Amino acid sequence: MKKIRAWFLAGVVVGIIIIASGSVAVRRTSTNEYCASCHEIHPQATVSWKKSVHYNTKSGNHTGCVECHLPPYGKGYMAAKIKTGARDVWSKWTKDPASFDWEERSRLEHAQKYVYESSCIACHENLFPQGLSKEGEDAHIYYTSKNKPEDLRCINCHLDAGHYIEGYVHAGNTAFVKPMQANLPVYTAPMVVRQFESFTEQIPGSTISFGMMKIPGGKFRMGSPGDEPFHSTEEGPVLEVQVDSFFMAEVEVTWDEYLAFYAQTAAEGRTTDSEGLRATGGSTDAITGATPPYGQPDQGWGKGKRPAISISYHAAETYCKWLSLVTGKHYRLPTEAEWEYACRGRTTTPYFFPGDPKRFEKTGIRARISSNDTAVINTYAVYAGNSRSKTQEPDFVAPNPFGLKNMSGNVAEFCSDWYQPDAYSKYPAGQLVNPKGPTLGTERVIRGGSYKDEAGRIRSAARDYTRTEAWLRTDPQMPKSIWWYSDCFYVGFRVVCEYDELTGKNRQELAKEGN
Amino acid sequence: MKNYRISRRNFLGTSAAAGLGSLTFPAFVTGCSSEPRKKVEVVAFLDQAPDGQELKAGLIGCGGRGTGAAIDFLNAGPNLKIVALGDVLLDRITSCREELKKQKGAEVPDEKCFVGFDAFQKVLDSGVDMVILATPPFFRPEHFAAAVEAHKHVFMEKPVCVDPVGARSVIASARKAQGLELSVVTGTQRRHQRDYVATYKNIAEGMMGEIVSANCYWNGGKLWHRDPNPDWTEMEYMIRDWVNWCWLSGDHIVEQHVHNLDVINWFTGKYPVKAVGFGSRLRRVTGDQYDNFSIDYVFDNNMHVHSMCRQINGCVNDVSERVQGTKGYSNCINTIWDLTGKELWKYEYPAADDGQPGTDLKISPYVQEHIDLVNSIRTGKPFVEAENTAMSTLVAIMGRVSAYTGKEVTLDEIMNSDLKLGPKVFALGPVDVPKEAPLPGEAYVPGT
Repeated sequence: MKKIRAWFLAGVVVGIIIIASGSVAVRRTSTNEYCASCHEIHPQATVSWKKSVHYNTKSGNHTGCVECHLPPYGKGYMAAKIKTGARDVWSKWTKDPASFDWEERSRLEHAQKYVYESSCIACHENLFPQGLSKEGEDAHIYYTSKNKPEDLRCINCHLDAGHYIEGYVHAGNTAFVKPMQANLPVYTAPMVVRQFESFTEQIPGSTISFGMMKIPGGKFRMGSPGDEPFHSTEEGPVLEVQVDSFFMAEVEVTWDEYLAFYAQTAAEGRTTDSEGLRATGGSTDAITGATPPYGQPDQGWGKGKRPAISISYHAAETYCKWLSLVTGKHYRLPTEAEWEYACRGRTTTPYFFPGDPKRFEKTGIRARISSNDTAVINTYAVYAGNSRSKTQEPDFVAPNPFGLKNMSGNVAEFCSDWYQPDAYSKYPAGQLVNPKGPTLGTERVIRGGSYKDEAGRIRSAARDYTRTEAWLRTDPQMPKSIWWYSDCFYVGFRVVCEYDELTGKNRQELAKEGN
Repeated sequence: MKNYRISRRNFLGTSAAAGLGSLTFPAFVTGCSSEPRKKVEVVAFLDQAPDGQELKAGLIGCGGRGTGAAIDFLNAGPNLKIVALGDVLLDRITSCREELKKQKGAEVPDEKCFVGFDAFQKVLDSGVDMVILATPPFFRPEHFAAAVEAHKHVFMEKPVCVDPVGARSVIASARKAQGLELSVVTGTQRRHQRDYVATYKNIAEGMMGEIVSANCYWNGGKLWHRDPNPDWTEMEYMIRDWVNWCWLSGDHIVEQHVHNLDVINWFTGKYPVKAVGFGSRLRRVTGDQYDNFSIDYVFDNNMHVHSMCRQINGCVNDVSERVQGTKGYSNCINTIWDLTGKELWKYEYPAADDGQPGTDLKISPYVQEHIDLVNSIRTGKPFVEAENTAMSTLVAIMGRVSAYTGKEVTLDEIMNSDLKLGPKVFALGPVDVPKEAPLPGEAYVPGT
């Protein structure tokens, strides 16, 4: 009996030791120093944490690694710790830290995988602390309402809470546009175009100019045949299409160009007509431009000659109206037919450059193990295979046969057509002249694919469409912006200019068309 | 609307106002639907606020209702004091001081009387424990936010705002007040009226089945107006004439009818999802407001509630609510009938002084709401009522906007609207706001 009791006591003691050492182990492997012992491989982890508000708290209490990167105790803490630990150990043994793009990993899409919402809320119990700004109030009312989207997380707006990000802002971003370079000549007049030749447009009142390439009209086969690799049914049936001559911008509208518009038209306040007809009158001639963005539309990738992103379709259309007004020409978004005609540059192959989409595609096991020759596509397109997950400047690529850059890849581009998956099959048979797409719809066509897309999605015939609601999901403003998408960074646009009497088309030509 | 986390305080802090939150009620009754008779707790009302340390209140807005509210506050219990007054206009302070002295023997020294658009801040900074906010509603969100930032308990008059921007501000300030464990009571006094609360309890417990429709009315006479005076600036004139100007009062559907709409929201435990209505300006003398509205509010499950309000003399008057249930109906205030009109229950009023059956409450609801507030403060059981009132005010605004525009307006739209009334500059001078009553729809153009 005594013996049994002794064994029992010994068992209890051993049990306590195991539990205690286990809890010591859990504690020891959860200190900031322990985390940093491996995570120093990306040196900015500790440095950026120490520059963040979670380190520099008013109370002097540092919020440590596991307080955000693991869920709270009792809410899956141990399970997450085991899983995360195992993954980290595996990575440490098998992977080269230099092969990681740490900047990309710190963006929202990745950050949300290892920052726990439940941990944010565990500390930040009161979402309405004293001193909360009006914007904060509106955002947190939205966050706590039944309308909160599933994937709206704290870090959608507070991405820099734990790790400092240079230039990050989630607030009314009135400083988004800095004064322009003062040492460049300011254009006083637009370019005068007297004949159908490529020209360089000048934006009056700015230092900005951009190339417009002539696109001589002609006939082409729009869409792709069923046997084209990665063909989708929405790309057929193939249509016989004729388009008239027009001009098209050499590159996707750049930040420089868009911000010239923004600087000249930006409106601080938004308007509402919800109070009936009290306010009568009001000029409709003047163009009211975008309100200041909320957050960081360029994603910190840089502005300049990179394509303008986060721009809503409405904003792109307004930009065209404004550009028409200040240049005395007729600028607009291309139709889907014009876009594909210009992209193909008289080619009939999947791309305007030689190559087989299957040979460029990186998805699938075969592609992963065989080394595809991507030299050609890398010359002409910014896509998933070479983009490092962001947009690139136009000089990154060579132009297509019409002299246009980035028709495939970099950013997808708005077309003026409403999107319908079966649009092509709805056209009447025979030759189509300047088709403009369905008369009704809810989303617009976007074409060309983007830096995020694999090779198959940037084919000349590949079609895609806008997703307005999803692209505004995390805009905390009330009402949501009509000018800026909060959640879409892979779409931009390219302008076309009509070839008409404003751009050198003479009476004879016009008369000829009249016949 | 109420999907956010309900804090412990929301549950425990209801002692002062006894199950008045439509917020906590629905979960309560649907949680035990299998039982034949649900139980809804309402806390007994006190006849007088408990004694305690002297509670110093400042009054912001010293007009008729402000002065009345200050006297109701002083009548709520022992050791209550009005120590500071603030108003934009000096003569309102003078008349308020005289009234306080005459009725309650209360005196407020000169140095604690503040005049001007910043008077509210000076009152908040004058060493008060709580404030009574009774200016025209336009100023409420700003004053409430400042009071919460200054850690003051608040009694504020309804409505609590005139536009959606103000409503969201009040909701946010209410949640900040919860975080600071402050007590806030708003002047929707039916929620503090014993007969209403008893009726609510019986209906919530299922005496007349599920509510399937409702009506509410504030059909009454003209309130009052001021004629312009050459000695007054436009701002001074508008503030003196405030119940006739939309930017100051929110129009009468918001300023007055919010009481009845709030009762409907309270009894049904929810808010309408959309509204279509109309209204017009037939006999109002000054200002830019309508004097009648008729609104069809639609709740979830396509439940309709009709709301009517009018401020025109010489018509039939009715200020009441009516809820229709599957097994009966009620006037919300004191009686429940079955579907045949047979009385199922009637509130028993305290006997009159002569021993005859009474018809009135002994404690006026206007005093009761102050008793509830002081009780909440002195017993350390914080209670914040403002969010319900902000939502009911927003529901009234939704009806107004529908009538003004002739359009259907959804709660989502109005909740997310950036509509903000009023001028940008506040000084005793010209006021830059529209001064015409709005017209819905389109006019007929001859020849079209």
